[in-house]
Amino acid sequence: MADAVIVVALLLVAASATVAVVTRDPVRQALVLAVLGVVLAVLFTVLQAPDVGLSQLAVGSALTPLLLMLTVRKVRRRGQEKGRGR
Amino acid sequence: MNGWTLAATVGLAGGLGTALWGVATGPLRRRVVAQNLSTALACPGLLLLSQAYGRPSYVDLGLVLALLGPVGTLVFARLLADELAEDPPRAWGPTWAVAGLGAATVIALCVATGPSRAMVKLLVIGALLIGGNVIASRALSGGFRGVRRG
Repeated sequence: MADAVIVVALLLVAASATVAVVTRDPVRQALVLAVLGVVLAVLFTVLQAPDVGLSQLAVGSALTPLLLMLTVRKVRRRGQEKGRGR
Repeated sequence: MNGWTLAATVGLAGGLGTALWGVATGPLRRRVVAQNLSTALACPGLLLLSQAYGRPSYVDLGLVLALLGPVGTLVFARLLADELAEDPPRAWGPTWAVAGLGAATVIALCVATGPSRAMVKLLVIGALLIGGNVIASRALSGGFRGVRRG
């Protein structure tokens, strides 16, 4: 019966990972990835690996979205400059 | 399975499931609000799990999430400022509901722990969680003018 929380965490990870793959727009994908990072940290905690969960929280909830959003912004700016050059 | 595990399971399934649904569908303003609330909902779940497993050191996960969750949302508020300025999210109802849920969880855990250093830590986590959540929500709705110059 105590496995119920593990099943819930696994289902949440599967659902959020599927949504992250299905989403096409990179900005929205970054939002889903932030949620996926939090859900993965919960899964690691439930599986009694809180140390892995801590690093997953640090990387997944703030760092990955920041890198993705900065990249999207840079690519868009470069596209705009190219459009102006023509 | 004790009551704490049950509460954590129900809270995580309902809260994160709803947040996932919100972040997967709808316009951008709804998605950023759902992302903000997902961290605010996961933190009480982690605190309940630490009580359920009887391991006070697991509380650190909640502390890290309460610190870093609003930071992640502020990243989105800063870098999506142009998109959000046209269509600002207004979600004070869900924000305060989730903040109340977090406060209720922290108070219940404080009662269970009794007066000690662990209780002070729980109170600090609760204050960080609610304060960070409200600040992030305000930044998303364009409350801070300086943030808009994205």
